[in-house]
Amino acid sequence: MFLFPYFVNFTVDQIRAIMDKKANIRNMSVIAHVDHGKSTLTDSLVSKAGIIASARAGETRFTDTRKDEQERCITIKSTAISMYYELSENDLAFIKQSKDGSGFLINLIDSPGHVDFSSEVTAALRVTDGALVVVDCVSGVCVQTETVLRQAICERIKPVLMMNKMDRALLELQLEPEDLYQTFQRIVESVNVIISTYGEDETGPMGNIMVDPVIGTVGFGSGLHGWAFTLKQFAEMYAAKFAAKGNTQMTPAERCKKVEDMMKKLWGDRYYDVENGKFTKSATGADGKKYSRTFVALILDPIFKVFDAIMNFKKEETAKLIQKLEIKLDSEEKDKEGKPLLKAVMRRWLPAGEALLQMITIHLPSPVTAQKYRCELLYEGPGDDEAAMGIKNCDPKAPLMMYISKMVPTSDKGRFYAFGRVFSGCVSTGLKVRIMGPNFVPGKKDDLYLKPIQRTILMMGRYVEPIEDVPCGNIVGLVGVDQFLVKTGTITTYEQAHNMKVMKFSVSPVVRVAVEAKNPADLPKLVEGLKRLSKSDPMVQCIIEESGEHIVAGAGELHLEICLKDLEEDHACIPLKKSDPVVSYRETVSAESSVMCLSKSPNKHNRLFMKARPFEEGLAEDIEKGEVTARQELKARARVLADTYGWDVSEARKIWCFGPDGNGPNLLVDVTKGVQYLNEIKDSVVAGFQWAVKEGVLCEENMRAIRFDIHDVTLHTDAIHRGGGQIIPTARRALYACELTAEPRLMEPVYLVEIQCPEVAMGGIYGVLNRRRGHVFEEFSVMGTPMHVIKAYLPVMESFGFTADLRSSTGGQAFPQCVFDHWQILAGNPMDAATKPGIVVTETRKRKGLKEGIPALDNYLDKL
Amino acid sequence: MLIIELVVFFRHCVPDAIMADAFSSSSETVIQRVVDVTVKTNTPPEKLEELYQIKETCDFISQHQFKKVALQFPDELLVDSVAVAVEIERHSNAKPFILGDTSYGSCCVDEVAAEHVGADCIMHYGRACLSPSKRLPLMYVFERRPVDVEKCASTFRELYPDTQSHIIILYDVNYVHAMNDLLTLLSPEYPNLVASELVVEGEQCYSHGQMNRQHDDTYLSEQDGRQVIYQFGRQFSLKKGSSITDYSMFYVGQEGATLRNFMMTWNRCSFCSFDPITMTGRTESVSINRALMKRYYAIERAKDANVVGILVGTLGVADYLTIIQQLKETIHRAGKKSYMFAMGKLNVPKLANFLEIDIFVLIACPENSLLDSGEFYKPVVTPFEMEVACNKNREWSEEYVTDFRHLLPGGQSHVPLVDQQEDGDETDVSLITGALRSRNLLNSEPAESSFSSSVVLRNQTMTVANTNPAASFLAERSWRGLEQKLGETPVVKAVEGRRGIAIAYEEEGTPS
Repeated sequence: MFLFPYFVNFTVDQIRAIMDKKANIRNMSVIAHVDHGKSTLTDSLVSKAGIIASARAGETRFTDTRKDEQERCITIKSTAISMYYELSENDLAFIKQSKDGSGFLINLIDSPGHVDFSSEVTAALRVTDGALVVVDCVSGVCVQTETVLRQAICERIKPVLMMNKMDRALLELQLEPEDLYQTFQRIVESVNVIISTYGEDETGPMGNIMVDPVIGTVGFGSGLHGWAFTLKQFAEMYAAKFAAKGNTQMTPAERCKKVEDMMKKLWGDRYYDVENGKFTKSATGADGKKYSRTFVALILDPIFKVFDAIMNFKKEETAKLIQKLEIKLDSEEKDKEGKPLLKAVMRRWLPAGEALLQMITIHLPSPVTAQKYRCELLYEGPGDDEAAMGIKNCDPKAPLMMYISKMVPTSDKGRFYAFGRVFSGCVSTGLKVRIMGPNFVPGKKDDLYLKPIQRTILMMGRYVEPIEDVPCGNIVGLVGVDQFLVKTGTITTYEQAHNMKVMKFSVSPVVRVAVEAKNPADLPKLVEGLKRLSKSDPMVQCIIEESGEHIVAGAGELHLEICLKDLEEDHACIPLKKSDPVVSYRETVSAESSVMCLSKSPNKHNRLFMKARPFEEGLAEDIEKGEVTARQELKARARVLADTYGWDVSEARKIWCFGPDGNGPNLLVDVTKGVQYLNEIKDSVVAGFQWAVKEGVLCEENMRAIRFDIHDVTLHTDAIHRGGGQIIPTARRALYACELTAEPRLMEPVYLVEIQCPEVAMGGIYGVLNRRRGHVFEEFSVMGTPMHVIKAYLPVMESFGFTADLRSSTGGQAFPQCVFDHWQILAGNPMDAATKPGIVVTETRKRKGLKEGIPALDNYLDKL
Repeated sequence: MLIIELVVFFRHCVPDAIMADAFSSSSETVIQRVVDVTVKTNTPPEKLEELYQIKETCDFISQHQFKKVALQFPDELLVDSVAVAVEIERHSNAKPFILGDTSYGSCCVDEVAAEHVGADCIMHYGRACLSPSKRLPLMYVFERRPVDVEKCASTFRELYPDTQSHIIILYDVNYVHAMNDLLTLLSPEYPNLVASELVVEGEQCYSHGQMNRQHDDTYLSEQDGRQVIYQFGRQFSLKKGSSITDYSMFYVGQEGATLRNFMMTWNRCSFCSFDPITMTGRTESVSINRALMKRYYAIERAKDANVVGILVGTLGVADYLTIIQQLKETIHRAGKKSYMFAMGKLNVPKLANFLEIDIFVLIACPENSLLDSGEFYKPVVTPFEMEVACNKNREWSEEYVTDFRHLLPGGQSHVPLVDQQEDGDETDVSLITGALRSRNLLNSEPAESSFSSSVVLRNQTMTVANTNPAASFLAERSWRGLEQKLGETPVVKAVEGRRGIAIAYEEEGTPS
């Protein structure tokens, strides 16, 4: 079948039939730190499903569909593939959740590992229920492993673990079996630490989600060589061996019990007495003899033997082993030796696809299982309306609820497939749906469109296939809704439906570049391109600033580079001029205003008295994280502010607003006593506040972590003389005066940098970090490897060219991962043009085309 | 002894409704206002004649037998107004009226004020934008400002060392008298020099020499194969086969609205200027591309806007009513709501009174249209920018139109509106909010019935939703007007209230 190159044995109709068996669907993402081998591992899964020839697994990166992805060997966009896997009768017994036949549909999303593309991971996690966490057993749990795992846990995604790159541990590091076991043990522990830190405990709705080799949620192997196993594979082998002595006929359930018992014996402090063929719980026998750990004796030893025999060209031993392990090689493979032979043998013996697909189907939840506990995190509306019930029950007859998590460019320029997951109901070609953007509010018409779906499609790697309809629990692409959504959205047929919750990203767009068309006449094309770009990437921000500059903001240098390349080549198709990267700053204050700031309205009849002061430590972060929000219930919020930050409760109840944009980390608080007509001017003062905190007085950057108190207000008795025109500009002036008198400071974004390198390169790293105002706060060596890990804070401003600089100072041995961590005050007084923040202010004002120099205080402060 | 009856007609002395005070400058503040002009001492009487060309003016009046003459002075020339009026009264039979404090820009002819006194003609003094006005006979008297022609010529040579360069000379109207001298100096050296002439449109416009009259409204015309460009009261002809982009512009005059207007319009030409006051020349370094991008930002804001305020910033420029109509239609078709405002001179507090307006569009003469709206609560755009935002057929290109008359049907930059039928659900990503916006918000709503009693099908979820943007703004306000508080406040007998006007009640004393 030419049209359908991967499911050799399946037609769309057959796939459609499997889609209905919702208990047998597994939606999963593959997540890991960069270079831990996700895409390679994914390939071995895909090869199992018959998509690419088995022999080429490990060599082709099937999910890297873009040219630059293949050139750079990193994944940039997440890609979805569907696979079909059939479990044997025996294996079905291992599944603890409901099941429906032996065929399983696995929708896998391969996601990028580089921090700059974390937003793709977030989008992938939203549409999946389980995650295959891949960890390089040589480098261990890295910063990005933690980031993505944390996100998965917070989204109630069940993890299973895969220890990858065992071949390196054996061939390069030449670890002893016991050391290797210790390494594995440590990785399992650190993964579980993350899970328990961010997840709910065992009594939570998901139950125990810790990974544990004993239950089979940990895989070991090498994606590159195409082999992997879980304890289940070996347990089955040994269970069969030991059972062969006794009864031969077992029901699947009995067999399952046996294998599970065996698995328990193969991990942890269990030992094996080789001579007697007995399992014991102590490392030393009665006669003082040392026993090996079962994992070492029964699992690692055979593997080590195979490696040793083949890699040292011990032909006879090799042949013996091959025979003993009952591995059947074809004639071509038999002629190989060394590494190619090793690959062939291991792949025959412990095929990665088999082991991983079993782990996935047995241990990851089906939509039926997962949507029960995920519903409350997914849906904004009441937990008992039709939509919520539809999601909870994964009911194909309920109203349609679908979340679009990202847009995938089509071959048709400027058009996108809307990619997402059906959580409830059924989506079909021609169905008339409500398309709701993130700003939709039930009962209003903003961000709401009623449109028919032009086409529903299956998206698999590089290919798409039309399909008539798709029931809940599945991942699908839609044609024709892209123009009604920007990045994400909810699609429903239920009139009273609320939105599905928007995704929270772990990275923020802190690096910015101004772009300009080389030929000014191309401006409309540039603008059109920017609009397309902002759709195609979940994270990128494309904005026009008041100065007229077109800004593209991304999570990091690499992300920006990719975005700009896409913009130039795919979206705008015109030559561009790019500025050097710049960072955005925040304006804040470091003390309470030194004087009571008074500003008079233009007609001199209204006076506002205000003061500014900095936030308590941590409050701004809480607001950004959404723990203290504008939408929160008044009293609950006041309670939090009083308890955590020592606010006066009555003041905490009189927060007028958050800003900028009504939800930012600045507060306007009414601390007046008995002012007449105050409620009348509230809207005007709030408008002035939103304006002022969006464009601070220093260099029109956003303000951050400032609390403004309105102390007193005198107003003209006639309403007409205290209208918006009088109050808005006055409030803005008063707020500026407050900022200027409260020792204003500039804040800069700071990256957390994690660098892995051999010890020899450490000196070079410290040199580079020192030159760039970085400071190291943690340093440790990875046990069992010569690698060291350095964690440091590095101002984003100093990070441009950091990666290249680091490579050249360490001879290419160090590779950093930078992720935005926090805002930090840039030391020095911005009012003094000679200081660092002073220079930043001057440059920013120049770039924005503002008047030179910070406006003087007397522009804003009036005298009584 | 001649008794002169002088009527100084201040527009703001017309009793306004009290409400209007909040929206326009109150009468008292106008009188108290410190006008930001360099205070000039009275011109000595012997110079008046030269500066204000009184003789020619009187000849003109007598010739046409005007009875009532309105003299319009800009603020900075008001000091001389009485003296000029006295002279005119003495030398002609007409009765002069002085118009002070023009409603809008003093560069425009204030016909409305002149009509208040029933004047037969207007004398416009000082700097003018030469926007056509058609109601009354009009005469421009430019204040002749001194200019050192020699210095100007030498600066010119420094700025353009290549004598073959193609250059167009533009100038502020105040320096028109010196242009012949300048040309005599430069023409022999620069064969490709083109001088612009002042041209006034309309039958009834006059000026003392140096000014031609244009009868047809064509912007471009061909004369013996030479392309003649006529815009902003300037006319110049280009060499055969060349276009305006082949030329550089040399401007005599100070930096200001006039120059900015020229630069925006001919944004592909390089500009140099000579300032006769400081006697210095310079290349205009302001990147015009940057300025255009700034305006583009305003266009994006306009696209985002749901409610548009149309600010009437002129009552003199011809066709202003037509453009208002066209804008209303354009805005409506784009699914936005528009309101019209007439509020005299603009300032920040006046515009900030209308929180529900998302963007303002200012209809004024070309020079006053380009308002830098940084200090305003909501941006102010030009009619051209509003059209770019609302009319799908009009694309943003390098062309930038400051003169709204070109946008009208028959104008050189007119683009017809999209046929309503073919409007689909066009959507678009806003580059300001990052959100989606659709062009046809209002159109998709059911047509409002003109009979309030007609039955509308009740939609369960949408009962509150079918409101216009302004109403939904009100709904979001925390304070929506006085509360009745029925039964909560005790009933009291009527008491005597305060006396005086709101700005200063009698018992309050004088405001601080």
